[in-house]
Amino acid sequence: MELTGLSIDQAPPIAAPLRFFLTAPLFGVLAGVLILMSDASVLISRYSIDSIIVTHAITIGFFAFIMLGSLTQMLPVLASAKIVRVKGVTLVSYILLSVGLLCMILGLKFDIKLFITLAYLMLGSGFLILILSILYAIKGVSHFTATIRGMLASMIFALMIVLIGTVLLYEYSNNSISEYHYILANIHSAWAIFGFSGLLIIGVAFQVLPMFYVAPKFKQFCKRRVVFLISIGLVIWLFLNIYAEEYALYAKLWIVTFFWAFATTVWLKFNRRKRPISDVTVLYWRAASIFLTLGSFLWIFDEFFKHEYIVMVAILIGGGFILSIMIGMIYKIVPFLVWFHLNAMGYMSIPTINEMIDKDLAKIQFVIMMLSLVGFVFAFYMPKILMPSAVYFIISMLLLEYNILAPVFIYKNTKKREPDFDMSAFS
Amino acid sequence: MSTIKEYLTNDHRKCDEIFAKMEEGANNSLESAKELAEEFVADMERHFQMEERVMFLEFETKTGMTQGPTAMMRQEHTQMRALMQQLLEAIDAGNKEKFFGLSETLMILLQQHNMKEEQMLYTMAQQHLSAESDRIVEMMDSLIVE
Repeated sequence: MELTGLSIDQAPPIAAPLRFFLTAPLFGVLAGVLILMSDASVLISRYSIDSIIVTHAITIGFFAFIMLGSLTQMLPVLASAKIVRVKGVTLVSYILLSVGLLCMILGLKFDIKLFITLAYLMLGSGFLILILSILYAIKGVSHFTATIRGMLASMIFALMIVLIGTVLLYEYSNNSISEYHYILANIHSAWAIFGFSGLLIIGVAFQVLPMFYVAPKFKQFCKRRVVFLISIGLVIWLFLNIYAEEYALYAKLWIVTFFWAFATTVWLKFNRRKRPISDVTVLYWRAASIFLTLGSFLWIFDEFFKHEYIVMVAILIGGGFILSIMIGMIYKIVPFLVWFHLNAMGYMSIPTINEMIDKDLAKIQFVIMMLSLVGFVFAFYMPKILMPSAVYFIISMLLLEYNILAPVFIYKNTKKREPDFDMSAFS
Repeated sequence: MSTIKEYLTNDHRKCDEIFAKMEEGANNSLESAKELAEEFVADMERHFQMEERVMFLEFETKTGMTQGPTAMMRQEHTQMRALMQQLLEAIDAGNKEKFFGLSETLMILLQQHNMKEEQMLYTMAQQHLSAESDRIVEMMDSLIVE
């Protein structure tokens, strides 16, 4: 066994994940502003340029930032796996992804080909650097748990959707929309939601729910088979979608069954959790279960209505399920990281992680976010409420940024004084 | 007899159970949680000492690694001991808000610590110390807490 590569003390510097976490809500604000600049009649079509840029401000700017940022932090703890040159890798990919995403938004919105070209180069390379580094770290893991299998499957889907996404963006850059464009786009979006995000969330839930909430453990069947069965479903769906579209519904049913079961399981596990604590993160997990259930059924229902409801499905699953879990997660991770790094440096008299974020403000942020999400869903029938919902969304994202900045300021201010305890004896 | 990894992992779960009971008690009244908190702190201390005075020492002697994972784990033990002390003080002061702030912090610190031990350190220890596994488990089992 290689002892020099021990990951126990290889957690990345606090800036690596925080950079991603603190930027994510800003892209959320940008997504809200982009909705305000658009129109309900345009956003109702999933392939309109405005829909594409709003979606990617959220999916890349928020989801991918939170998920990849968390992975750099979680891999050493959950998998004892270290990312080689984690400091450099996270910084370079962060810059490429941030600038690349801005180029994509500006390039598509104002039809500037140079920006679109820059976007696919930067987003493609930014994602590849980080995803391949994570995959390389996972490769070295000797003991594969259910969570690590979820992470691995998720990263393989992530790799595929990045490659497809790069091709799609390339087509926009030289006005050569191929006949396969929309099939690829469909695969890109379904794999992004259910493969990249869905599998990662399920994999992490196996570990996090019993751990942080002392909820009952997941059954062995779930832990051993579900990630594999969903992955197979997604691959079968891909082939049916291309070669026998009339049967694609069966693969959808297969995938949806597992996600609906997951949503129900999460709900029940929270009912039976042993910890009496009920904070904003529990509310977000609960909300995510409800939205996922509704979204899963609507995805099937949509099949019989010529995909009229696909945007609503995207709001329910993307906004309601994935976004809720991501926000819930950073509310837990950011204060803990601050506490952990300060404490390890010898600062003992610091606020506990519960005291770092104002609980009432976090709940207000949750309520405003829920109002905006429900508003977005109903805007489908009442276009008038789209704009107020976008305003709520922006306010909620700004509040989120404020809430997670609070612990970061505690970190900065505490570091200005001398530690209470000299930890050098341990280093 | 269980292996080092099984023995210490099971002990983690026992501590988790008491922790959950303690929080449940504290949710009703801090008074009723006092005994459970003391039991939890005592069990944790016993677990730390089984590691620090037996398993870590054996591991360090065998591998020659004194500044590796065991040093990091000892540091986290120190962090947890400090938190547990504050937890008992919060009960004595009747400060429920403080108690749950501390218990939440301790919970996350503890769980990520356990995970690192179970996923890596115990597996490594089992590999390096497999020949002496029974003797080490016996020593840990009969340890008298200082």
